[in-house]
Amino acid sequence: MLEEELTSQIIDPQKYKTDLAKKYTTFLSKYPEIFSDLISGSDFDFALYDSIEAYDNRSPVDIFNVYCNDHGIEIRPGRADDSDLELALSIKAVKKLIQTKTKVEYAQLLGHFFNNPDEEKGWIDFILHKRTQILIDMGYGRFARTAGILEEDDNVYSI
Amino acid sequence: MSKIKELEIKNKYTGEVLRTIPADTPETVQEKIKEVHASQNLLKEMDFFERAQLLSNYASKLRFKKKQLKDLIVAEGGLPIKYSEWELNIVMTGFRFCDWYYQFIEEKTLTSIEGEQFVRIRYIPHGLAACISPRNTPISLPLYQWGANYLVGNAAIVKPSTACPLTMIEAQSMMEEMNLPALEALNLVIAPGNWAVDEFLKSPLIKTLMTITSSHTAKDILVRYANILKKTVDKSMGVAMYTHPFKNFFFECAGNDAGIVMDDVNLEQVAKWNVMASYTNSGQQCFSMKRLIVHSNIYDEYIECLIKEIEKLKYGDPTDPNTDIGPLGSRKILMMMEVMVADAKKYGCKIYTGAEKIDTGEDYGLFYKPTLVEIKPELCEDLTEAPFLWREEAFGPVRSITKAENLKDAIKLANASNYGMRAVAYTSNLETIKTFKNKLEAANIYINARPMLTDITVALGGIKDSAYPPGCKYYPQELVYGKYIYDGTPINLEKLK
Repeated sequence: MLEEELTSQIIDPQKYKTDLAKKYTTFLSKYPEIFSDLISGSDFDFALYDSIEAYDNRSPVDIFNVYCNDHGIEIRPGRADDSDLELALSIKAVKKLIQTKTKVEYAQLLGHFFNNPDEEKGWIDFILHKRTQILIDMGYGRFARTAGILEEDDNVYSI
Repeated sequence: MSKIKELEIKNKYTGEVLRTIPADTPETVQEKIKEVHASQNLLKEMDFFERAQLLSNYASKLRFKKKQLKDLIVAEGGLPIKYSEWELNIVMTGFRFCDWYYQFIEEKTLTSIEGEQFVRIRYIPHGLAACISPRNTPISLPLYQWGANYLVGNAAIVKPSTACPLTMIEAQSMMEEMNLPALEALNLVIAPGNWAVDEFLKSPLIKTLMTITSSHTAKDILVRYANILKKTVDKSMGVAMYTHPFKNFFFECAGNDAGIVMDDVNLEQVAKWNVMASYTNSGQQCFSMKRLIVHSNIYDEYIECLIKEIEKLKYGDPTDPNTDIGPLGSRKILMMMEVMVADAKKYGCKIYTGAEKIDTGEDYGLFYKPTLVEIKPELCEDLTEAPFLWREEAFGPVRSITKAENLKDAIKLANASNYGMRAVAYTSNLETIKTFKNKLEAANIYINARPMLTDITVALGGIKDSAYPPGCKYYPQELVYGKYIYDGTPINLEKLK
């Protein structure tokens, strides 16, 4: 049986506050398979911050959410109505992430920014809005691994 | 004892004094206990999920300061920089997802045989806990002890090792920076364990004493507690009445884990994992694989693979990202390794590699080369007669290897120990796996697992002399008690009116 091709749709592209968010959504729309571990109905925010201080104050410069449906993803401006979690990204990190050429390269860089957060070079973080157990059941653990946020321990520590 | 003394914290590799910090006195310890105890209600003003969210936010804070913390861990702990990453990841992951533990302490209703639901179990925090953590983990265990208490709503006094308290002091200042609510219900005690333990034991405000220490030290704590109880005896009624209240003791102790390698696995791969499991952090880990038990069919070949991997280990400057083995935590450990190897030699044991020390003559820059010692199986059977290296925990980079003729023999050897923290086995035979799961005597059984797992589901604990109370456990689960509430109002109210 052939696997169904996943689709992606960017909703209301004119509503984004920044060009960077627009570029990032275009970039993500090329790789809907990154989100394939999430169950239909999953919805989470991508928040872009210009500093760690802004992140501490939860004041993003732009925000959009990715909603997973039965066929793929919808990328929508603003916060999700009932967001599962927020993926927080520094602007510097996003600028570098959208330069990557493949899904694997993107995942590696995303993982790097998570594991080596740096105000100057870029960082990502996440805030859970729902219980861990619920998020695990929705597939976020597997998603985090596919997206490069959780590494295999062998890579984190190996002799 | 009442005069405030200073404590010099040295770099474990170079001997450089990193900082001089004031040490607590018995009086200041008692003051801190009172202050923290008085603030514990602040924790009850938040519910479990609020506290979990705060710990999760704190995990973010730690991650942004990771480099700074790693540098401290390496300097004061002597841990290689690449291992410090793992050390931090354990606690950051645990805090980030700590609401996961709710499943163990969620209030629940019991259904009776008649189908009635009059009983509810509600989990209540025990109260102030004193936590003592070891020298080999400057941040993961002391912070985890504190976090588990905070999560369930217990105030806590944490005593990091006086050999490496700076990382925890830094961790505490990060809590202050983010204005963590109810921080008054936490404090650190900087004092040597030999008398700080007595201060904790004699304070009636402390309800739980949780320590991660050697089994012998844990038993010594119980002896001290008995002596304190004796001092409070009141015989005025003609019988001995002890006025000092009970405490909960929660000990995580030594491990002397067996690692079994059967003859149906990829020896090179297993040897690689084995070396990581046995020599990480210079073998100064309670869950390190310490007694290697290898099937006779592959024994010689496996030893060759193992030595090849051991000889790849680089020891030296812990700040070097290529260093695998950092300096030992203390001269006492160096001496212990020497004694164990010398004792094994008396039994005629063969030394395959290592058994050499680098001794600066100071209390820093001490190394013992990764060592592999063969112990004949017949020496392992009677624990009263066996070499120290077999019967006691080698808390350093010396490991024993023993030949097993078959599966039954391997299990017998693995179980020939006073300890029962973990047991590890490698085999590709599904029937053999079943046998290992059933017969190995340890609280944690790891089959074909890669070492250094950081998954949140990995529990702590042990049986035999490895833990008290025995069994595997998640910390938050141990820090509460179940209150059973039977409410017969629905059926009896009318009768009582």
